[in-house]
Amino acid sequence: MKFSNRYIFLYISVLVIIVAGTLAIVSLVLRPRQEANRKGETAARILKAAGYGALSTEQAVALFDSVASPITDSQTERYAIVCSDGDTGQVVYVSGKGLWGPIWGYVVLASDNNTIKGVAFSHKSETPGLGAKITEESFADSFSGKKIYNADGEYVSVVLAAKGNSEANAENSVDAISGATITSKGVEKMLYEGLKDAGK
Amino acid sequence: MELFSLFVRSVFIDNMIFAYFLGMCSYLAVSKNVKTSFGLGVAVCFVLAVTVPVNYLIDKYFLQAGALSWLSSHFQNIDLSFLTLIIFIAVIAGIVQLLEMAIEHFSLALYQALGIFLPLIAVNCAILGGSLFMQEHHFPTLFHSFVYALGSGVGWLLAIVAFAALRERLRYSNIPKPLQGNGIAYIITGLMGLGFMALMGF
Amino acid sequence: MKKFLEPLSKNNPIIVQTLGVCSALAVTAQLKPAVVMAAAVTVVCAFSNLIISLIRNTIPPRIRIVVQLVVVSFFVILVDQFLQAYLYETSKMLSVFVGLIITNCIIMGRLEAFALSHKPLPSFLDGLFNGLGYGLVLVAVGVVREVLGQGTLWGYPVLSDKFYTLGYMNNGLMVLPPMALILVGSLIWIKNARQS
Repeated sequence: MKFSNRYIFLYISVLVIIVAGTLAIVSLVLRPRQEANRKGETAARILKAAGYGALSTEQAVALFDSVASPITDSQTERYAIVCSDGDTGQVVYVSGKGLWGPIWGYVVLASDNNTIKGVAFSHKSETPGLGAKITEESFADSFSGKKIYNADGEYVSVVLAAKGNSEANAENSVDAISGATITSKGVEKMLYEGLKDAGK
Repeated sequence: MELFSLFVRSVFIDNMIFAYFLGMCSYLAVSKNVKTSFGLGVAVCFVLAVTVPVNYLIDKYFLQAGALSWLSSHFQNIDLSFLTLIIFIAVIAGIVQLLEMAIEHFSLALYQALGIFLPLIAVNCAILGGSLFMQEHHFPTLFHSFVYALGSGVGWLLAIVAFAALRERLRYSNIPKPLQGNGIAYIITGLMGLGFMALMGF
Repeated sequence: MKKFLEPLSKNNPIIVQTLGVCSALAVTAQLKPAVVMAAAVTVVCAFSNLIISLIRNTIPPRIRIVVQLVVVSFFVILVDQFLQAYLYETSKMLSVFVGLIITNCIIMGRLEAFALSHKPLPSFLDGLFNGLGYGLVLVAVGVVREVLGQGTLWGYPVLSDKFYTLGYMNNGLMVLPPMALILVGSLIWIKNARQS
């Protein structure tokens, strides 16, 4: 069969219009759900750090709106949040650099602006099995109960000390991730910079 | 400095083949000898270095949410990102076609060296992969995306040439019969990948 | 019917034809993304085969590759949008690899070799079984890597704590991407050894 140039041109145009049209409709229909997913994921992680346990995204969005409210006069992203034990703390967004790329996270501070209730870290491209461990629950759990001021009331943030060395100053330090020195340093710096203003 | 580390990273650590297995089909099919592998590798470098920056511009000025606002403020809420895949692949297919015609027109020697590989490349996962990873990385400037593309291409070239050299030697080694051919090819690639992982550091 | 079942073992796209390895192996560190990826490829492969076969007599040969790419990308985008809406966690794990289904050689290969010259129903089945054959390998590799690498399956622990107290350790090597290749190589070995 022979096909003229005009036929080819028309054919491809019609095809593209049909495809683009259908996709546009599908994308419009599904977009609200996709955005809810994205929002719900962040909400679920913050709520977990605030002591609410693991929640599905739908539950998280609903609960988040009822317990947390954005603090508008802050330079960075912050929320006031009622934690699971009834204490009103704040959520502070922190961000910094790991070994390979950006790292970021949310820190939940108790109402004394000193005690850390929980943290949730994320990363873009840290080494799997090493730096990537900052997203793991065991690492996040090691932060709960730590303080960002030392006994003399000086701001020290939380230090990531090599394993075994953290007992010396248990209130203000956690175990670093062995084998991931630069990522650990990055987390330390991110917390120091990010919580500086929040602690006041 | 930042650009240099981006380059090194995309050549060795985020190596298209050893870390993401992109472009494996042509990698396995064409790596029978070093010379043709080198030709294909150069062609991949070339096409990556052209298509990724072009797709970067398209992504930045047409596809991202709010990207059309430079045309008119009415378009601020338009988000065409669902069309990303189809536009990227169309751009790649188009550019490969153009390159083929241009090379044929300007340099017959180059055409004979690269020409046979170009049609293969339009459907090579490494090329589309390059554009998609570029989009994930959110590079600040066009030049970053170019450096990234070049690095990825060089990494791919390096991988296929090294592998082809090993394969040439392999003909003389005593491999269990059922493992010959593709079996051993996969395993060697895996072992080379493990070697490359050592470069990741801590 | 027997011919359609061939891709499941005798003519498996990954093991025998070495097609479509590209976008596949990076997602097999765990079972769940492997299953989702397998399902996505099967759906795309079956339906693009069907559509191309339906319109095969109207496609001008000169632009057939472009038409194929458009049809395949259409289904891939559909799948991607659905994953983002309904299986958000897994779609994040798969990241760009869903998009890379477009350049999966199995799909383009089946369109060229089968759908362009056969009736819609056989084409649909051909796509379906090639997708399943591909999925089979993905799932097998995914199971081995997750059990040995993390001691879990589908995210649930399957190895009893007793093992660990006896000194058993998860093999961290299995989580690394190159192990997928070595496992597929071993699969080819086993298969060839059994056939000869």
